[in-house]
Amino acid sequence: MTLALELQGIVKSFPGVVALDGVSLAVERGSIHALIGENGAGKSTLIKIVTGVHRANSGTIKIDDRVVHFASPRDASREGIGVVHQERNLIPRFSVAENIVLDRIAAKTFAPIDYAEIYSLGKQWLQPLELDLDVRRPVSSLTTAQAQMVEIARALSLQSRVLVLDEPTASLTSHETEALFRVLRQLRDQGVAIILVSHKLEEIESLCDSVTVLRDGRNATASGPLRGYDRAALVRAMVGRDFALEQVGRGGFAAAASSESPALELDGVATSLGHSGINLSVGRGEIVGLYGLVGAGRTELAKSIIGLHAIVEGELRVNGQPVRIRDVNTALHRYSIGYVSEDRKAEGVILMHSVLANAGITIWAKLRGALRLLADSRIGKSVDPLLRQLDVKAASRNTAVRNLSGGNQQKVSIAKWLAAGVEILIVDEPSVGVDIRTKAYLHQLIMNLADQGTAILLISSDLPEMVALADRILLMKDFRLVGELVNDKDYAKVSADIMSRIQVVDTVTQRR
Amino acid sequence: MAVGPSSRRQPNEEASTALGLTLLIALAFVVFSWAAAGFSSPYNLYALTRTAALNVLLGLAMMVVIATGGLDLSIGAIGIASAMFAGYLMQDFRLHMMIAIVAALCFGGALGFCNGFVVVFARVHSFIVTLASMSIIFGAMIVLTKAESVRDLPPAFLALGKIRWFGYLSPMLMVSVAIGALIAIMLRWTDLGREILASGANSRAATLSGVRVGNRIITVHALSGILAAIAGIMLSIRNGAMVPSMAGNLGQEWLLPAFLAPVLGGTLLSGGRAWVVTTVLAAFLVTELTNGMLLMSIGEFWVQFALGSVLLLAVLLEKGRSTLMGTVEGV
Amino acid sequence: MRQEWLGLAVIAVLGFIIMASLRPAFLTPFNLFVLLSTFALAALIALGQMITLAVGQLNLSLGSIGGLVAVSFAGMMDVWHWSAAPSFVAGLALGALAGALNGILIAQFQLSAFIVTLATLAMFKGLNLALTKAQPFYDIDKIVSTFGNASLIGPIPAVLIPTVIATAVVAYILYRLPAGRQILAVGGNSSASELSGISIKRAIVTAHVMSGVLAGLAGMVAVARLQLGQPTIGEDWLISSFAAPVIGGVALTGGHVSIVGTLLAVVIVALITQGLVLFTIDPFYVQLVLGGLILLAVGLNSLRSLLPVGYSLP
Repeated sequence: MTLALELQGIVKSFPGVVALDGVSLAVERGSIHALIGENGAGKSTLIKIVTGVHRANSGTIKIDDRVVHFASPRDASREGIGVVHQERNLIPRFSVAENIVLDRIAAKTFAPIDYAEIYSLGKQWLQPLELDLDVRRPVSSLTTAQAQMVEIARALSLQSRVLVLDEPTASLTSHETEALFRVLRQLRDQGVAIILVSHKLEEIESLCDSVTVLRDGRNATASGPLRGYDRAALVRAMVGRDFALEQVGRGGFAAAASSESPALELDGVATSLGHSGINLSVGRGEIVGLYGLVGAGRTELAKSIIGLHAIVEGELRVNGQPVRIRDVNTALHRYSIGYVSEDRKAEGVILMHSVLANAGITIWAKLRGALRLLADSRIGKSVDPLLRQLDVKAASRNTAVRNLSGGNQQKVSIAKWLAAGVEILIVDEPSVGVDIRTKAYLHQLIMNLADQGTAILLISSDLPEMVALADRILLMKDFRLVGELVNDKDYAKVSADIMSRIQVVDTVTQRR
Repeated sequence: MAVGPSSRRQPNEEASTALGLTLLIALAFVVFSWAAAGFSSPYNLYALTRTAALNVLLGLAMMVVIATGGLDLSIGAIGIASAMFAGYLMQDFRLHMMIAIVAALCFGGALGFCNGFVVVFARVHSFIVTLASMSIIFGAMIVLTKAESVRDLPPAFLALGKIRWFGYLSPMLMVSVAIGALIAIMLRWTDLGREILASGANSRAATLSGVRVGNRIITVHALSGILAAIAGIMLSIRNGAMVPSMAGNLGQEWLLPAFLAPVLGGTLLSGGRAWVVTTVLAAFLVTELTNGMLLMSIGEFWVQFALGSVLLLAVLLEKGRSTLMGTVEGV
Repeated sequence: MRQEWLGLAVIAVLGFIIMASLRPAFLTPFNLFVLLSTFALAALIALGQMITLAVGQLNLSLGSIGGLVAVSFAGMMDVWHWSAAPSFVAGLALGALAGALNGILIAQFQLSAFIVTLATLAMFKGLNLALTKAQPFYDIDKIVSTFGNASLIGPIPAVLIPTVIATAVVAYILYRLPAGRQILAVGGNSSASELSGISIKRAIVTAHVMSGVLAGLAGMVAVARLQLGQPTIGEDWLISSFAAPVIGGVALTGGHVSIVGTLLAVVIVALITQGLVLFTIDPFYVQLVLGGLILLAVGLNSLRSLLPVGYSLP
C-alpha cells in the first residue's frame, strides 16, 4: 500500500484565524480520493498547500514516502502534483498542443520550435482522454469541458503522479461529466492518484474509492475507503457539531396580517444568467434562508435582484408593487434594498478608504446640503452610533478598513446598509472568514434587524447558521428552486431534510 | 487639506509629502537664484508664476481623471481647440471676451464629456479613447483653423496678459490656486467628490453600494476638459494670441507636466486617492525646475531629460515607500 | 485566423483600385516609389509598438528612441567620421539599450509601463536635444543618403529591404522561437505562463528590447530618407504606432498579434495619407481620420469579443 501522497499534521494559520489545525491526508496510488467538507472547512487551504501555493506552518508532506518541501507551485509541479482549477489556466490564443506542452516551451529560449513535434506530443497526451480535437485549434475556441481536458492532458504530460481536480463538474453537462469520469477511471487504472474536491455527493459515490472529510479545519474523518459510508454518514461527518455556541435565538416569525404584501416578491422570475421559474417572497420582519451548494446560483440571483443583472421574465415586486430595477442605485435609493456581498474584500468594502467613508457611502447623497457640501461630522452623526452599536474595533473612524480584522471589516460592510436604513436586506455568506465571537454577534444582529421589521434574505452554505436564523429555508440548485421548508429549529431533522433534497440526482441538467 | 478619506496615517502622509515638496521648492529657489542669472528678478518670477499657473491647471485636470483610475491624453488637444474656439468667437464674431471664455469652457467640457461617454458606454479603456480623441480633436481643429493663429483679439483680452501684482506675481497663478481650492473642497467635502474617489478606489464595491460609477467617470472627464480649456485660455492670454501649435503636435507637450504634478504629488495611478495641495506644490516645483534650468547656461537642452528623470524617480520612490509599508498600491 | 486580416486585405486592394482609377497619377512609378518608401518606415514603427502590445504593455517612448538613435547615427558619421556600417550597428545597439532600460524598469520594479515610457520619452528626447542642440547633423555617409533614395527595381525602394528583413525576423521570433512564444504567452495569461515556468520579467524585457531595436532601425531609415539627422524624427510617431496594430487586429490586452494584419493596416493608412495628397484634400485630415479609425477598430474589436466563441478569459 504505497501512498502516492501523504500529509501529516498540517497546520496553517493566517492572521486571526487557524485554517488548518493538524490535518492529515493519505492518498493511495491508483485511486480516486474525494476531499469533502462544507465551505470554510479548509479544503481549499489544504489544496493550496498540496499545490505549493501556501507553505504550511507545520506538518509534513510526503510523496511516495519521500518528504518534500514546496517553496512554490513550480516545485509542486516538478514533484508530480498536477492541478486543474475551477478557473481555466490556459493561454487563450495558443493552440491546444502548445498549451499542453507549455512547460517545454518555457524551458528553452533560442531553440526553434518544432511544431510537428509539438502537435504530435499534443495528440499523444490527448489520446488517453478520448478527446478528438484538432490540436492546432486555439484553446479559446473550445468548450469548458474540452478546455478542462486539455488541462488534464497538460498535467499528464508533466508526469503528474497526483492529479488534483477542484470542482471539475461545476460547469459541465451530465454527458460531459460522464466522459470525464470515464477518463478519470482509466487514469486511476493506470496508477495515477486522483484527488477530487467536490460538493456533489452523488458524483463522489459513483466515482471515488476513498474519502477524507474536513470540518472546521480538522479531519472529521481520517482518510479511508468510501465503502464504509453512506450518504447520510458523510453528511453527518461534514456538518455534525456541538451546539453549545448557538442559542436558538429567535422566537419565530409571526406571519404578519395577510393583508400586508410581502416586502420582496419574485414571481416566475428568470434572469439573464440562467435562473428560471424563481418564486419567492420575504415578508417584513421575516428571515428567509436561501441554501445551496457552490455554483447553485444564489449570489447571482441576489445580484439580479439588486439590479446588476437583468431579469428577463417574470415580475419583481416590492411591497406589492411591480418594479424594474436597472441598477444598484435604484435598488437602494428607490426601493430600499441592500446587499451584503459574500466577497467582502473585493465588493463589500473599499479597503483603502476609511471606516467613515465605507460606512457612509450609501447616505452621502441623502445627507448632502447646499452646493452638495457634506462634512465628515455630518456623516459621523449618522454613522458613529451604528459603529458603536456594532462594536467595530478600529483606532478611529479614519482608520483604513484594510487595517481592520476580518470580523470588523464585515461589520463595516454591514454598517453602511444600516446607515441607509434599508427595509430589505440580502445577506450573502455573512460569517465567512469571521471569528466565532463576531459570528455570534452578527447572527444576533440579523435577528434584531428582523425583529425591527427588516425583510432579510439570507444566503448561506453554513447549515447551523441557516437553521439558527431562518424562519423558512429555500433550496436552490442549478439556478432553480428545488424545495422549501419551514424551519422548526430541530437541527438534526432540518439538516437531514435539506441534505436529502439537495443531493437528489439530477435528471437532465443541460448547461450551455 | 487632506483629500481622499483614508487611514489616520493619511493626513500625515499628505502633510509630509507637502512638507517635502515645500522644502524642495525652497531649496531649488536658493540654488537657482545663485546658479541662474536673473532667476530671482521680478521679470522672471512673473514669467514663472504665469507658467506655474498653467502647470497647476494641467496637473489638476489629469489628477481628477487619475482619481477614478483613468487617463486623459487629450487635454492638450481639448485645451488648444477650446482656446481656438474662443479666439474665433472674439475675432470673427466680435463677441465679448467673457462670453467667448465661457463658451470655450463649455466647449472643453463637452469634449471631455464625449471622452467619458465613450469610455463608459463602449467599455473601452480611457488610454485608447483619449489617444484617439486627441488625434480627432486636434486634427479637426487644424482642418477648421487651417493651422492659422488668431491674433486679432479685443484689447481687453490682451490687457489681461499684462496684469502684474507686486511686480512679480501673476494673477493667473491665483486663479489656478483658487480653482485648486474649489476642487479640493469638491473632492473632500461634497458627495460628488466622495463618490469620485470611491469609484476610483474600488469600482465594484462602489457600484454595489449604489454609486453610479459611470456617471462619475463622465463627470471627471468633463471636468478635465473644462480645466484644459481654462489652461488653453491662459496660454493664449500669455501669448497674446491663439496659436494652434502652442502645446505641440496633438497637444502632446502638455502630457509630461500634466502627469508629473499628480504623480509627484502622491496621486495613485490606480485611483482612489488624490491630494490637491501636493499636486499644486508639485506643479510649482516642476515649473521652478524648468524655469531655472532654462536660465542656466547649459540648462535648456537638459530640461526634458531632467523632467523625465524626476518622473521616474518619483514613481520609484512611491513604489519603494509602498512596498516598505506593505501596502502595494498601483503605481 | 485567416479571416481576421481578410477584411483588411479587401479594403487595401479596393483602396488601391479606387485610387488608381480615379487618379492615374497614382500609378506612376514615382508615386508608387514614394508610397512604398512611406510604407517601409511606417511598418517598422507599427511593428515596434506591436511587440510591446504583444506582451500586454505599451511603449510611449518609441518615437523618442527613434529620434535619439537617428541623431546618434547621423552624429557618429558627422562628428566622429565613422562609416555607415559601424554607425548602423551602434544605432541598433543604442535602440536595444533604450528598450532594455524601459523593460528593466517596468519588470524589475513593477512600475506601470505607461508612466515609465512617458518618463523615458522625455529623457530620450532630452538626450536628443542635448546632443544636437536642436540642430540637424548634415554630414552623413554618402552610402546612407544614396540608400535612402535608391530604388531596387523600378518603383521598389531600397529602404524596403530593412523592413522586409525586420518583418521576417519578428515573425520568426514570435512564431518559431520560444522567446517569442513566451512573450505572447505572458501577454495572453501571465499567471498561467508563470505557473508553467515562463519568466514574466524576461518576456517583458525581451519585448521592450525588440521594440527599441525596431524604433532605432526606423529612426535610421528616416535619416536615410531625409538625408540628414533631423532631431525632430519620431515626434509624430505616437498615434500611427498605435493606429496600425489596433486596426490590424492586435489585442490591446496582449497575447495576440497579427503581423499581416498590422502591415495591411499600415498600407491602408499609407493609402489614406497619399490619397489626401492626390485628391488635394487638406493633409491635416490625416490625424482626424487616424483617430477615427482607432476608435472604429477598438469598437469593432470589442464587439468581436462579445461574440460567444467557446470560452475566453475574462
